[in-house]
Amino acid sequence: MITHDTILGISTILYLALFFLYIVYFAARRKGILRTAWYCLLVTFALQTAGIGLRWVESYRLGMGHAPLSNYYESLIFFSWAISLIMIVMRKRLYPVITFTGAAASLALMAYASLSPGVERGIQPLIPALQSNWLHVHVITCFLAYSAFLVSFACGGLYFFESRGIVPPGQTLEDINYRSIIIGFSMLTSGILTGAVWAHYAWGSYWSWDPKETWSLITWIVYALILHLRFTGGLRGRRTALLSIIGFASVVMTYFGVNFFLAGLHSYAT
Amino acid sequence: MTATRSSSGKETEPASRVASFSRSLASVRLGIVVLGLIAATSIVGSVIKQGGTEEEYLSLYSEKAYHFVKLFGLDDTYHSPWFYFLLALFALNLIACTVRRIRGLGGKGAKAAPDVKALVAAGSGFTTTRTPGEVSRRLAASSYRKKQLSETTALYEKGSFSRYGVVVIHASVLVVLLGGLIGLAAGDRGFIALRVGETAEAAVSRARARAPVPLGFTVRCKDFNVTFYPGGQPKEYASDIEILDGTGKVVKAGRIKVNEPLSYNGVRLYQSSYGTSNSYTFRVDGKEVVLAEQEVVKAGRTPFMVVRYAPQVHDFGPGVMVAYMDGEEPKTLWFLKDVERMRTRVIGGSRISLEGIAGGYYTGLEMSRDPGVPVVLAGFGLMLAGLYINFFTFHRRIYVMSDDAGGIHVAGMASRNREGFLEEMDRLSKDLA
Ligand code: HEM
Repeated sequence: MITHDTILGISTILYLALFFLYIVYFAARRKGILRTAWYCLLVTFALQTAGIGLRWVESYRLGMGHAPLSNYYESLIFFSWAISLIMIVMRKRLYPVITFTGAAASLALMAYASLSPGVERGIQPLIPALQSNWLHVHVITCFLAYSAFLVSFACGGLYFFESRGIVPPGQTLEDINYRSIIIGFSMLTSGILTGAVWAHYAWGSYWSWDPKETWSLITWIVYALILHLRFTGGLRGRRTALLSIIGFASVVMTYFGVNFFLAGLHSYAT
Repeated sequence: MTATRSSSGKETEPASRVASFSRSLASVRLGIVVLGLIAATSIVGSVIKQGGTEEEYLSLYSEKAYHFVKLFGLDDTYHSPWFYFLLALFALNLIACTVRRIRGLGGKGAKAAPDVKALVAAGSGFTTTRTPGEVSRRLAASSYRKKQLSETTALYEKGSFSRYGVVVIHASVLVVLLGGLIGLAAGDRGFIALRVGETAEAAVSRARARAPVPLGFTVRCKDFNVTFYPGGQPKEYASDIEILDGTGKVVKAGRIKVNEPLSYNGVRLYQSSYGTSNSYTFRVDGKEVVLAEQEVVKAGRTPFMVVRYAPQVHDFGPGVMVAYMDGEEPKTLWFLKDVERMRTRVIGGSRISLEGIAGGYYTGLEMSRDPGVPVVLAGFGLMLAGLYINFFTFHRRIYVMSDDAGGIHVAGMASRNREGFLEEMDRLSKDLA
């Protein structure tokens, strides 16, 4: 019988294939390879969706049915899934090199999730505080935000590289960057607000300055600052690029750093 | 394509001191600095331990560092006076900013038409030979509203409310802050522990050395249940609660679960935890003693106490772990009530046997009274609406000018989403070709 592990394993291998397809494309520059990569991404995404769905079904068989969004392993898988979703949704505006960055990030997350000894991979029972529909909205919006900010980070990082036909021109990068910050900022706002509403129902307090909450607020402020500097301070070019990199560093701290460095209600760790 | 988004017009007030002060209060630069400071403070607060005791700090930091932490209130950063000062400054700045922005929006309507021909020449439009009526119908079909600017020029607009998105967002931030302030001024929090059958009229305040918080009613725990997963982790716990008024009449009854609080008269009760509060009957050298959890007694000269209770130790029934001092060395020992050989043990020369375990669970209820919550929730709703209006709708303006030769020039501008608008103009020019 096929389990979700098998399917997620296959999608990890497909992400690896995708990664190399793009490298071959950058070397050979054939349109056909690009089309193959696009279909490969669609298939990978479909398989990953099926894998996540199957894990959900299996959790019911184990008598603790819950959406696979509740522990560190599940969040890594979902993060990778959300990145691919953003790649597919924004495809009209993206460039191969950005999709490549997304695929590389997805691959890294999947590989880390399935190989690291520090990650508990089993389906775990859901503690009562997490048994809420707000969990779903909260997690989905947060990870869509992180994924959009990953695109912004890619644009910021690529800004410092010479074109050579692979990296789109600076102006294009800025446009994509701005667009992804808009999506990310809206999603992050939704994520923080749904989180606050949920905390209100679960703990009786919509905001308690727990480290994860605090860092999501910091991230939110960083991107609000970028929007304002851009709008009213005429922030452009290298500075926008640099700030999007700083913004993403804050995202990374919010998602990974807090679990490892700071303790609180949100830690996935036990 | 020229896409414009005019910011609030330059004011030309006389440069009085008041005006210049209010201008700097409304400046975006101040806003950016203050927001940056709030972010920086938040980082500090997330790194330094919050709300610990003196011993905890001294075990983490040097004495000097601890003095520094105390001096600046960094042990409670988010409630320190200067953090409130930053928030207040931020709120003032945002109010000033918003007022200025609303004023700026007023004078937008009476704008002169741009040079349509020049815009078309610059690639922001097209020229067609259709009649003005056809152009008008086509635009009306896409829900553009018409406004005649002059004899030859008409303006077609759509999504003009997009400009108010920013105002809504900024106002929503203020609403959320206001809700927080209300909660701070008029709210209360506390904790109630109840065994089945017990009642309480007040909650214990979480803040140290504060008086209990009166509920304004009596709460009684009728029943408490906890279910477990096969692995032993709690799956669900719930309390059946009754609320009694001053005369002892039941005015509300219900079940509180995690994520499903119960509210009465502005007070919300949350299922936040549970625990066991047992009493243990031991026979020590023939004498019966009843012990509460963590209570120390002496067997001969050896002090001992119960440190842990387990309803099921492997398959042997309930048991308790007892800690005692063997000379200088702390040791532990399990007593199992239902296993003859493990029920009686010898500690420091005394025969001790576990005779009974009484009691059971208590339910831990978090109590909160926060009149600011509806305001905060309203702010959340406004914020999402504002973000949607600002980022995902956009103001489109299409100018249509007929020249003497019977040609019609059509030029458009959009506040954002230029690519999308470009595509729309393309479709328009094909339909009207
Ligand atoms: C946490 C607080 C704040 C949030 C979430 C926020 C959010 C936003 C957003 C989303 C935009 C639209 C940006 C765009 O369209 O690209 C904006 C614009 C703007 N904000 Fe804020 N803002 C905040 C604080 C402030 C403060 C404190 C000021 C003033 C001192 C300010 C002044 C402005 C101005 C002048 C604009 C441009 C408005 C325009 O002319 O269209 N904002 N803000």
